[in-house]
Formats: sequence, structure tokens, C-alpha cells
Amino acid sequence: MPQGVRVYYQEELEKLEASALGGLDMVSTALTRTMEAVERHDVELAEVVIADDDRIDGRYLEVHQSLITLLATQSPVATDLRLISALLHVLKSIERMGDQCVNVCKVLPLTGNYAPADPRMVELILKMGAQTKTLIAQAKRAFEERDVEMARDLVRRDDVVDELNRECFHLALEIGDDADTREWAMTMLLSARAIERVGDNAVDIGEQVAFVVTGLFREFEDASHPG
Amino acid sequence: MLKEQTPKISVRPEFQQAAPPRIKEKVFELNGIEVLYGGVSAVKDISMEIGHKEVTALIGPSGCGKSTLLRCLNRMNDLIPTAEVHGELLYHGEDLYGQRVDPVQVRKLIGMVFQKPNPFPKSIYDNVAFGPRVLGRKQGLDETVEKALRGAALWDEVKDRLEDNAFGLSGGQQQRLCIARCIAVEPDVILMDEPCSALDPISTGKIEDLMIELKERYSIVIVTHNMQQAARVSDRTAFLMVELDAEEHNRWGRLVEYDATEKVFTNPGDKRTEDYVSGKVG
Repeated sequence: MPQGVRVYYQEELEKLEASALGGLDMVSTALTRTMEAVERHDVELAEVVIADDDRIDGRYLEVHQSLITLLATQSPVATDLRLISALLHVLKSIERMGDQCVNVCKVLPLTGNYAPADPRMVELILKMGAQTKTLIAQAKRAFEERDVEMARDLVRRDDVVDELNRECFHLALEIGDDADTREWAMTMLLSARAIERVGDNAVDIGEQVAFVVTGLFREFEDASHPG
Repeated sequence: MLKEQTPKISVRPEFQQAAPPRIKEKVFELNGIEVLYGGVSAVKDISMEIGHKEVTALIGPSGCGKSTLLRCLNRMNDLIPTAEVHGELLYHGEDLYGQRVDPVQVRKLIGMVFQKPNPFPKSIYDNVAFGPRVLGRKQGLDETVEKALRGAALWDEVKDRLEDNAFGLSGGQQQRLCIARCIAVEPDVILMDEPCSALDPISTGKIEDLMIELKERYSIVIVTHNMQQAARVSDRTAFLMVELDAEEHNRWGRLVEYDATEKVFTNPGDKRTEDYVSGKVG
């Protein structure tokens, strides 16, 4: 409970942070369902994920509007200003993560009712999903605790997701000459790519943690100039 | 979760703040300035440099000594019999309080605009011409008045009624007239003590725009209670706060943080500055 002056403003800001980060829990649920849908080839569950994305979008719009109102009415500065700026970025990342789950669920029916599933590919994607879920949880905790080291550690965890994604790619290359199988593999690669992007979004949130704490924005890793 | 407790972390080199831009040319250099009224300190241990042709804002809660410090810069405290100024105050490298320095010359070079517009009960023209006349100017007064009024962004509003009484102007116009009166004697520095506190937002906006124009030619030091004004117009901001002695009998102002304005308002180095600029303490 904030003390001192501007109590309403402080309470409102706390509430909005909790609400924005709560979006990560929604994404985590969406990802869990998405992985179940992939594992069981459950098209109906995939449709639930697609429909439920409106809730994530709604959270985005609601918190975004409230943050804009706070900017307009409270003239935040210093840490508060950095926090609001970071939350606007975090919201966008969350909204994109939700969309990536939708992307996986949308391509699932394309693999047909009796998909020629290669269990190795499905297993790799499920591993990616599980690892990405830990990234989402860690990004949330790092933000809540303003822990830059924990945020930086997201890069290490994301490297695991990236490596699994590469394995999916190599598997797709050697999956065989059958046209249906190749088509299935290509579709699954789209799913793997979407999950890999969710991991990247979690790292983006980590970068915002560092911004809130230090006041400087730096990418943890520069994708265009890897070093 | 908002941070009452700032996390203890070691910041990696890539996250270290860039050093603020250095002051290229100093107009003032204060070394250990202390001002006393009747033997009691009003401000203590003020050491800072003020940049030439920059806007420097002094902010802080009431009673922290902002106005006292501002008044040191053109020896206005000399007019208060019980006031004493200790420490070194250099103006372009010369001791402002040196024995041979003429305070009247100091106030010509370092003009001041006050909280409440204070035009003389004279015409608009005579208000602006007052300073040059006192300094013995007789030729070219019309040009001087026009130039000063243009400089204060007031010419277009008053050019057809220069002989009208200045009291007929609006508050915002009166304040700009006072700025015109100040710049008519071609000062080097303009000190402003809460120049917009009695003005509406439109007039405030005009004065703020004017400050940004004036800094092309003058150094400006402004005392303001309006955080956003300091953020909008100044290049550097100094935050002062009140300090109490152990018995809590005596209080004086002390400089807590002095940095580029952008830094002070986005990532201040001191928790006390953060709390003040965020409005969490008064």
C-alpha cells in the first residue's frame, strides 16, 4: 500500500502493472492449451485458444488506455515514467505472444484430420512450448522483482528454444519425399517459428526490466549484429 | 508491485548512464556558497557551475533556499541588511563579491524578473526606456524600446499603444514587459523567480517559448515550483532540499542533485530527487 502523497496515482500505477503482467498468465494458459492441441491434434481446443485471444487483446486495450490516461493526467516522471513506457512495450509483447499462439492454432487444421505426424517433430515442438512457458514465467517474475540478472538470464533460456527450432528445421529437411509428409512438416515448422517468437517476446520484456531499473534501453542481443 | 525498495544490483557496463553533456562555458561558478540571514544559514555548501546561454532551473520545496540562491547571483541579497554571503561566487571567472565590483553594474549585467509582474506606473514605452535612461542613454531610445519589446515577444501586441499605462496590460503581457525592461539594458544573464506563477497557461506558454528564444542570447536561471515547466524549458536542473540540524531547530537548503534536466526527470541519481520530482514528497 503506497504511503505519502499522490496515493491514488501510486495505487493506480500498481494496479495497472499487475494487470499488464497478468496478461502473461493469460498467454501462459494460451500456450499450454496450444501445446495440448498440437500434441493431441485437437482442432476444437485450437478454436478455443483462437476465440480466447480476444481476452488478451481486451487486456491490452484496457491497460493501454489506462496508461495513456495516467500519462495525460499525472505527468509521471523518473521511475514512474520509465515504468509506464516499459509497460506499454510489455503490453505489445504480450499481445504478440497471444497472436503467435493463435498462429499455431490456425495452422493446426491444415495438417488434416489424420496427419502423418512424425513424433520426433511433435516432441521437439512440445519441448519448445515447455521451455517457452518457463521464459514467460521468468519474464514476469523478473519484472515484478526488478531483477536485471534474472531478466538477462532469459537470453540463455531463449537460446534453448532457438536451438530446438533449428532442430525442427533440420528434421523437416530430412523428413522424406512424400508430398503430404513434407507439407505437414512445413506446417509444423510454421508452428515452431511462432513459438520461437514467443520466446523472443519474453526476452523483449526482460529488456524492459533493465530499462526500468537502469534508465537505459539496450538490446540484450543484437540480432542484426550477433557477436 | 512498485518499488519502495530499490533492488540492489550491480549495473553492467553497457547499462551505465552516459555522462551528462559538460558545461562548455561557465557564466557562474559557485564554490561552497553559504547565505545567512541574521546569522542563521538559509543555504549551505552550494557548489555548482552554471552554463552560459543555457537555461538552468532551481527546484525544491518551499524554504529550501532557491530564491535566496538566485538572489545571490546578482547581489540582490546586498539589499537585506542582515544578509551575509560566504564562499566564492565567480561570474565569468571574476569574484562577483569582490571589493571593487559595483553592485549596480552587476544588476545591469544580471537582470531579474520577479514572481509578480511589477511594471512601473508609467507608459509601456517609459517602462522599457527606464533602464537605458538611468544608464544615461538619450539617443536611439525608440530603437532600443522596439528591439526589447520584440525580444520579449510583445511588440506586435503593444506597438500601437506604447504611450498607454502599463497597468492596462494583462498579467502575461505585464510579465513580458518586465522581461523587455530587463533586456533593454542588454544584460548577460536573466534571473527569473517563479516568473509564471501568477499567469494563466496561455501566458505561461508564451513566457516559456520566450525563454527558449532568449537563451540564444542570454544565460537564464529560473526558480520554479512547476516541475513540468522546469522539464520543458531548462537544460540543467538543480534540486535543493531542506536539511534540519540534530535538534531540528535550524533548517537550511542544500544542493542534492544537479544534472542535465533530461536525466533529472527520467532517471535521477538520488532517491530524494526522485521522490520530489514525482510529487511523492512536498
